[in-house]
Amino acid sequence: MNHDYIEEQQVVERYVMGRLPPEEAARFEEHYLHCQECLDRLDVAESMERGFKRAAGQDAARAASIRQLALVAWLARLGRSRQLAALAMAVLVIAVLPGLLGLREVRERERELAETRSALEQERERSAQGSRTAGSEAEKLRKELEASRRDLAREQEARTKAAEQLADARRPQGNVPILFLNPERGGGEPTHRLRLPRAPGWVVLALEIDPPHQPSYRAVLQDAKGKELWRGEGLRLNEMETLSLSLPTTLLAPGDYILLVEGRRFTFRVLPSA
Amino acid sequence: MSTDAAPTPDEAEVATDLVRRIAAGNASAEGELAERYSRGLLYLLRRLAPELADDLRQETFRIVLERLRKRGLEDPAGLAAFLRGTARNLVIAERRKTARRRTDADDEELAQAAHPAPSQLSAVLLDEESETVRRLIGELPTDRDRQLLLRFYVAEEEKESICAELGLESLHFNRVLFRARQRFKEILARSKR
Repeated sequence: MNHDYIEEQQVVERYVMGRLPPEEAARFEEHYLHCQECLDRLDVAESMERGFKRAAGQDAARAASIRQLALVAWLARLGRSRQLAALAMAVLVIAVLPGLLGLREVRERERELAETRSALEQERERSAQGSRTAGSEAEKLRKELEASRRDLAREQEARTKAAEQLADARRPQGNVPILFLNPERGGGEPTHRLRLPRAPGWVVLALEIDPPHQPSYRAVLQDAKGKELWRGEGLRLNEMETLSLSLPTTLLAPGDYILLVEGRRFTFRVLPSA
Repeated sequence: MSTDAAPTPDEAEVATDLVRRIAAGNASAEGELAERYSRGLLYLLRRLAPELADDLRQETFRIVLERLRKRGLEDPAGLAAFLRGTARNLVIAERRKTARRRTDADDEELAQAAHPAPSQLSAVLLDEESETVRRLIGELPTDRDRQLLLRFYVAEEEKESICAELGLESLHFNRVLFRARQRFKEILARSKR
């Protein structure tokens, strides 16, 4: 750091006033440790700064005093009656002003209170409206809930029924009706008859398949009107070259049925249980 | 702008020579070191810890001299930086020590620290300084120069903003400040005679 820089940048004054950045202040401190000229300038700068600030402070204080003195002088120049009037006015101002300010404050508070009340009333109205809306919403929800409960009950009933059917299906069953069917080669009434058992269960249809045989077969069960009741694919012949199908009796109401297996036609009649 | 500084030997050369001689056991070099840096060190310490400045100056010299006698300095040209660093570290250590010792605040002492009442002599000196400033301001040729000084010293505005607002060149600003400083010194010196 050299003296030209110190002079141009007002380093001394800025250091004294604490306005130098820390790095620059550090460099200047290292410089002035051995520089008598800068130490002299530091003394002068400190003295000047103090002098300016003290003078400014004294001037400000003097200006305030002058204003006070001017007021006193003005009062002194007034006649006795005017002095009393000024005094009365001052007393009035001192006494009344806080009251006026207080009144203004009270009015302000009253206004705020009215606003708060109005806001509260609006809030209550909104709340009541909300309650009505909430009531109808609750009714709607209650109905939906009841509908859901009914659905759930039906679902549970169906499941129970299905479970019972499954249990029945798993239960070993004796005297399962077996109906051996041959392909029908002419029209007319079905010659094969099946009587339904009293209790729901299973029936087995054993279809005799003539050669040539295929790796798998597709079978379609129709009622007398040609409505498809069941369809099975990928069916394979057993070792006796027959195709066995187990059907639940619930699928078969009394009437005539047609089973189509790859161009072969099997017919049978279901008779009601005895 | 030039200054009235007399040409001085390069600080790095002087410092290197002092460090070398002190390491060699030269007692007069120790005296030269104290003489060269004593005033600056005291000024620095008065800014950092006015109440401890004298004691810490002694302590700084003791530590630095012991170090120079035993191990010298890795960078002898940086002797001033080493002195400054040692002084600052001592101030910091002293403050830490004080902070550890004091756990309560002395209200009376704090009040005095916040509003130190100047002694009678100080008050006279302060008044003298403010009178000198008034006289100086009264002597200034233009209101613009008065504005410049008041804004710089009292309002503590930056040079750039003062120049911009008063429409001044940087050179003119420097010149006004330089002349004001010179005149202040003259008036103050005359009043002390």
